[in-house]
Amino acid sequence: MARDDWETVAPFPETLAEIREANGETYRYCYQCGKCDAVCPWNRVRGFSMRRIVREASLGLTEIESEDVWRCTTCGTCPQECPRGVQQVELGVALRRVASKYDVFPAGARPARAVRASLTLEGNPLNEERARRGDWARELGVRPFEEGMEVLYFVGCYYSYDRRLRKAAAATARILQRAGVRFGILGERERCCGESVRKTGAEQLFRDLARANIKTWIDAGVQRIVVSSPHCFHTFRNEYPEFRVNFEVLHLSQFLRELLRDGRLTLSRPVPRRVAYHDPCYLGRHNGVFDEPREVLRAVPGLELLELPDARERSLCCGGGGGRIWMDTPRAERFSELRLDQARDVGAEALATACPYCITMFEDSRLTREGEGLPAVVELAEIVAEAL
Amino acid sequence: MNKAPGADNLGDVMVVGGGISGIQAALDLATAGFKVFLVETSPTIGGKMAQLDKTFPTNDCSMCIESPKFIECDRHPNIEILTYTDVERVEGREGDFRITLVQKPRYVLADRCSGCTTCVSYCPVHVPDPFNQELSRNKAVHIYFAQAVPLVPYIDENCLYLKEGKCRICEAVCQKRAIDFDQTPERVEVRVGAVVLAPGYAPFDPGPRRDYGYGRFPNVVTSLDFERLLCATGPHEGEILRPSDGRHPHRIAWIHCVGSRQVTPGGHGYCSSVCCTYIQKQVILAKDHDAEAECTIFHNDIRSYGKDFERFYQRAEKLPGVRFVRSYVSIGRELPDSRNVTIRYAADDGVREEEFDLVVLGVGLAPPKDAPRLARLFDIELDEHGFCRTDPTNPMRTTRPGVLVSGAFQGPMDIPESVVTASGAGSLCGELLGRRRGWLARERVYPPERDVAAEEPRVGVYVCHCGANIGRVVDVPATVRYALGLPNVVHAEESLFICSTEAAQKLATSIREKGLNRVVVAACTPRTHEPLFRDTLREAGINQYFFDMANIREHCSWVHSREKEAATRKAQDIIRMSVARARRLEPLQEFRLPVDKRALVVGGGLAGMTAARSIARQGHEVWLVEREPELGGMARRIHRTLEGLDVQAYLRDVVRGVYADPRIHVLVGAEILEASGYVGSFTTRVRAGGRLTEIRHGATVIAIGAGEYRPTEYRCGTDERVLTQLELEERLAAGDPRLDGVRCVVMIQCVGCRQEDRNYCARICCGHALKNALALRRRAPAPDVYVLFRDLRSYGFREDFYREAADRHVRFVRWEPDGRPAVEAATEEGRPVLRVTVPDPVLRRRLALDADLLVLSAAVVPAATSQEISRLFKVATGPDGFFQEAHVKLRPVDFAADGVFLCGTAHYPKHISEAVSQAYGAAGRAVTLLSQDTVVASGSVCRVEERDCVACGACIRACTYGAIEFHDTPRGRKARVNAVLCKGDGLCNTKCPTGAISLLHYTDEELLSQIDAAAAEPARAT
Repeated sequence: MARDDWETVAPFPETLAEIREANGETYRYCYQCGKCDAVCPWNRVRGFSMRRIVREASLGLTEIESEDVWRCTTCGTCPQECPRGVQQVELGVALRRVASKYDVFPAGARPARAVRASLTLEGNPLNEERARRGDWARELGVRPFEEGMEVLYFVGCYYSYDRRLRKAAAATARILQRAGVRFGILGERERCCGESVRKTGAEQLFRDLARANIKTWIDAGVQRIVVSSPHCFHTFRNEYPEFRVNFEVLHLSQFLRELLRDGRLTLSRPVPRRVAYHDPCYLGRHNGVFDEPREVLRAVPGLELLELPDARERSLCCGGGGGRIWMDTPRAERFSELRLDQARDVGAEALATACPYCITMFEDSRLTREGEGLPAVVELAEIVAEAL
Repeated sequence: MNKAPGADNLGDVMVVGGGISGIQAALDLATAGFKVFLVETSPTIGGKMAQLDKTFPTNDCSMCIESPKFIECDRHPNIEILTYTDVERVEGREGDFRITLVQKPRYVLADRCSGCTTCVSYCPVHVPDPFNQELSRNKAVHIYFAQAVPLVPYIDENCLYLKEGKCRICEAVCQKRAIDFDQTPERVEVRVGAVVLAPGYAPFDPGPRRDYGYGRFPNVVTSLDFERLLCATGPHEGEILRPSDGRHPHRIAWIHCVGSRQVTPGGHGYCSSVCCTYIQKQVILAKDHDAEAECTIFHNDIRSYGKDFERFYQRAEKLPGVRFVRSYVSIGRELPDSRNVTIRYAADDGVREEEFDLVVLGVGLAPPKDAPRLARLFDIELDEHGFCRTDPTNPMRTTRPGVLVSGAFQGPMDIPESVVTASGAGSLCGELLGRRRGWLARERVYPPERDVAAEEPRVGVYVCHCGANIGRVVDVPATVRYALGLPNVVHAEESLFICSTEAAQKLATSIREKGLNRVVVAACTPRTHEPLFRDTLREAGINQYFFDMANIREHCSWVHSREKEAATRKAQDIIRMSVARARRLEPLQEFRLPVDKRALVVGGGLAGMTAARSIARQGHEVWLVEREPELGGMARRIHRTLEGLDVQAYLRDVVRGVYADPRIHVLVGAEILEASGYVGSFTTRVRAGGRLTEIRHGATVIAIGAGEYRPTEYRCGTDERVLTQLELEERLAAGDPRLDGVRCVVMIQCVGCRQEDRNYCARICCGHALKNALALRRRAPAPDVYVLFRDLRSYGFREDFYREAADRHVRFVRWEPDGRPAVEAATEEGRPVLRVTVPDPVLRRRLALDADLLVLSAAVVPAATSQEISRLFKVATGPDGFFQEAHVKLRPVDFAADGVFLCGTAHYPKHISEAVSQAYGAAGRAVTLLSQDTVVASGSVCRVEERDCVACGACIRACTYGAIEFHDTPRGRKARVNAVLCKGDGLCNTKCPTGAISLLHYTDEELLSQIDAAAAEPARAT
């Protein structure tokens, strides 16, 4: 190993203290085995070393202005595989909290900072008006939530505002109505769940959003919540309890499975397509929901369900988590392209998934490669609605 | 024989588990005069060691060194082997256990079965073969493996008759009517005074989590699978063929730590201790099979902490085409056509993906599957890892008196450790049951020896196939026909494995039936089975020295495997030479020597004292001799072990116990002046306290300990801020005020070892450093602690403390030999510091650490008096200066010189618990000797024809054992050999100018006739 040109550095206690205060102490368990690097999706498209980030943090040598601090998509593969139980996602968030505290944002991360204003003012990251959050449901016969209803359908920012995802929201509403579910939405009373912005280090903003949502739910008499986004699912289920609340939260795929098993929903129209299912990181790896979406898809008559390589716990991240949905990734570095290729290679006509970020990333990549015959991108509710 | 205890169900000890550890315990105890029940759940004894191809670090053939022990157990009158048997119930207490055993039905009557395997040939049902890791198939009725003891088949539950009531072909074709489908489980109750649990371990199963694609990708196998692939008795007869297409893999990867060193659910947090070295072994063997193989090893620390391990590591590393890569890995994908598998790993410059033909998983050692059931039955506790919970001061004690444990059930360990702890458990049983010794014991009874002096030589030649080892290269049937054509050969036959019990029996029978008086076995090296065959001759009623072994394996088939015709001719030449010698062999008598029942223990440290106490508690007088003015050795400087044991309190207990035992005579401040004698009759002269004592003893235990290297590097010795770990420990224990105000401590590992002039690992320093680092971090305020290491060798359960140290913010920095730490005195903001600069391979920068205290993990070095003790007691030291045991695997506490034993750090650096185990082991072995009234010495010794001796003294000068001396006769001074000291090496023969001295069993006539036979025109058989 050639070392002549290596610079000499000393551990920096002040940085170390900042990271520890931001809850980043998990770095201490690392024994430098390199497993995180070996499994990280980034290393399929460029070089990125989580191992190095952990090592630097443990010595206070983090370069807080580096783009690397913002690269992680929090997909969760490395903490899942880490033999020492290092919580790399927690560490990454800690570093971003330090960066936020000192307002250090490299170019690539600026969009992540920009969304904070939108979230604070309008309750969503897309610079849309709060008052128009429920507009997608107009003329679909979707009612505002009332106490005593079976479930609250918590729609989420992208499903409410994004043109592509609104189609999925509409499909969802149709399915629930067909199944006779008494549900309602909160419309402009609903705010962003805050999951992704918390991952960018905006801890206070997250708390404000969470508390506001929780107060709304309490006031409205919410008991059972169904969400479309795995990110909402993740934070409601695992992080909102930090505020000592205990709402029952289901992902749409889980609720659909319940409806199918209870006989409240029957799918009778054939959808004879070859469909590959992609496990979203925040539904599968982070929360263990692998079987429900598959069971739902298998209930669609005529549908042939294909498995992708890198499935279930080894699912290949779409690249949208950790706030990266708001950041720019050069084409050559997008995991979503690899995923579309994989879907094509197993012979899928459509790539189905159940996460707004995944849909967005996949559609974006597909668009840039129009004409290549890549599979169509379809949301779970959309395919199920076809079979009604 | 697999005898049912029946009315004779009273014994002294039950050994549960018939692997190498259980076998060793049974043999030690039985030879020491106790009646032993050896209980094993599978159809034969042998355990995991029987499945290995070779054993590290010597690469001995595993079955070759283990199977003689099977037969020893089988022939030992004090051992009853109960295979295919489980424990069902345990009642009673220490001294009187009543244990109910269940013997599972084999559906074969053991006493009728001849092992002919006709039933196997006819059986129509194929099942995955458990012995071959299910990589090949066997029949529903089969013998577990060829050297099984007992050599009786068993019928697997997949038998058509057992499942569906059909078939029964085996019953029809068995000529001995030995198939019995009416067998049912039989219960037997036995009574014993003590129990030794030796159920071993279970290899970690990567199946449930599909680790690295195991179970999904056919070309991902476990190390035990690979071991079977390597082995000549394996699924492909020693050809490494990969599962998917049966081709030879060329690019092979090994992955370390599968199932170990991880907190992920389903894995184990500890280190399995042996995998690093067994992987290196597999790499070396793979290269043996295929010189062009490309072997890549993926790891995160190489734990080569044992004796000769570091050299073994270097041996593997130096092989061409072998790469060690420091990175844990992930499987990329399987390539659909070739079914090769890719591996992703972190290199210095990023993540790489490489393709391999075969991936071998270095699976760890998990507790045995029935550990919870055994714990319940025997009412013992398991520890948090699921292994047996043991007494911190005595690893062979479980939480229940009378129930002892040995081998890997204590925790992951290698074969020598399994053998040491077995002997240790034996010693503890001896302490417990001392008064019962000999009551139930039976002597071997041999038939009277036939006097053949008047007979013509009648030679029997037995040619062994050794599975495929010989048979694949040498044309054995043709060789048998050839042998029959040699003069005086009246019988010749072939055998698949002559070392198996059944074949050995057949040998004895044919000797008797054909009236043979000379036997030649053409097979492997005499080093493995000569004692077995000699014993067989005795059983057959002829003198055991009428035996000659023709080595047609190591000397022929193994080295000429590509020249079958020439190898066959050579095998025939070798046999011809052997037969020529056999004709001239003379009967020789062995000597019975009296055994003085006293022992001498040299060295009064923890190991020496522990051995002395155990020997004394078994009723023998012990002399304990210590050089220093007080007992205790190195333990006097140690305050806590890593696990938290209060060493000083423990030491005080032990010392008190030594002085309190009237059978132990202690001499401190002693000097050994002279040592002489031989096994059973040693004399040692010691001066202590101004007085001279002459000690007579039958056994000696060497336990002189080791020393600490005094470093001169890293400013040690010139800067008072630089300490060794022992010095730091003393300061911590004493509450030394110089530690206050220390803000940063840097530790450097591997000081003075793992280098050219001390090419070994001192084993204990990583544990030592962790212990001191944790102690420092518990102080308030806690200093920063950095540990600079090359490999962090926290093997076994010590891995837990590595993780705990990390939890407490101890920081670990790895350095490589070509990037050593540099230390200089500096000042930082007015504070004088020791600046330690070391390149960090992951950061790719140099780290500068400012320390107030620099602590060096200095090597353990051989004791200063090693060479003197070596010379006095005529025992060997090894290349690193530590004492050399008789066999690193199977005789780890014996010296080659009979009657002398070894334990503690004098053998090799080790932790306190390991030294204690070994001390009990040495005590056990010593008492096995001392409990006898006589010992037997070999008959193949030198003899002087006094008429021809001219008293030149050349032979005396040549003999390294001091076995020859002059004595006066009416014809003047003549040389005389002390037959007991003579080892039969024949060196003196080469020096004697008149040929007066000759070596019995290797006389000139015998050897010359062999040479003549070699040069004679051979007649060729067709």
